[in-house]
Amino acid sequence: MPSLKRCEGYLMLDNRNNPGISEDQVRAAGLPVGAGRGMFEAPTITCSHCQVVVVLNPLRNRERPYCPKCDHYICDRCGKVREANGGECKTFNQVIEEMQEAVFRAEQRNGVILPTQGD
Amino acid sequence: MAKRSFKVSTFTPVAVADTVNFTDAGYMGLMGGSTTQRINVHEVYMGGQATASAPSLMILARDSTVQATPTALSTGNSDAALDPATAALAAVPVAFVASTTKPQRSATLGLLNLSYNAFGGIVRWLAAPGEEPSILGNTASFGEMSLSAYTGGTPGLTGAHIIYEPL
Repeated sequence: MPSLKRCEGYLMLDNRNNPGISEDQVRAAGLPVGAGRGMFEAPTITCSHCQVVVVLNPLRNRERPYCPKCDHYICDRCGKVREANGGECKTFNQVIEEMQEAVFRAEQRNGVILPTQGD
Repeated sequence: MAKRSFKVSTFTPVAVADTVNFTDAGYMGLMGGSTTQRINVHEVYMGGQATASAPSLMILARDSTVQATPTALSTGNSDAALDPATAALAAVPVAFVASTTKPQRSATLGLLNLSYNAFGGIVRWLAAPGEEPSILGNTASFGEMSLSAYTGGTPGLTGAHIIYEPL
């Protein structure tokens, strides 16, 4: 069984030679406590449902949302959506493939549909 | 395809809120080269060059308004293939730091916060293989990504690169 470690990226914030950033700014940025001072290294994950990059807080002891259907950790927001939808899994790769397919089909019909997402 | 590096030797990020026009030469932007092109972002690096403390709240995010009529990269900035044997692309991704129609950072599609102090600070983020965030096409909101400063800090002189791969 493959380990979820395979999904982990790497983040380094090196503020050893400067005052760093304040704890208020760290909290506002959603980074783990202490990330703004000295040398901070942490694994990251890319949410497979929305592609947000999550910096894994080494001090977190709450359960991290996990989608067994795509076998990836997901972000807290997508974890809530998944719970509310009864465990539905739609990966970002599926969204991309559907958009590309729609554009290709539209081009074949001599029209073009451009991928958009409301904001 | 082949990996490419979009590098800006030195720039001072200009802090802007979400959904506000970026300031020319105060950000880095990357847009797909066609309506269907997919680009994976592998790495972001920033090295602080400021001569005094400069907390910089840097954000990698999708743009909800994409640029139009980009200005060609000037001396010191470049977008080049990592492998010299790379064949020319049919659809070249658009790497830019200035444009006529200014891009705007999405308020809801931020991807990564890379806050650091540009007074000698260093930031490096690498995605795991197969886990890279993607750019799709060249329209909002999936078709463009930017590295820019959010309001609240005092951004300082920075050198940066983004390594990406058009598919």
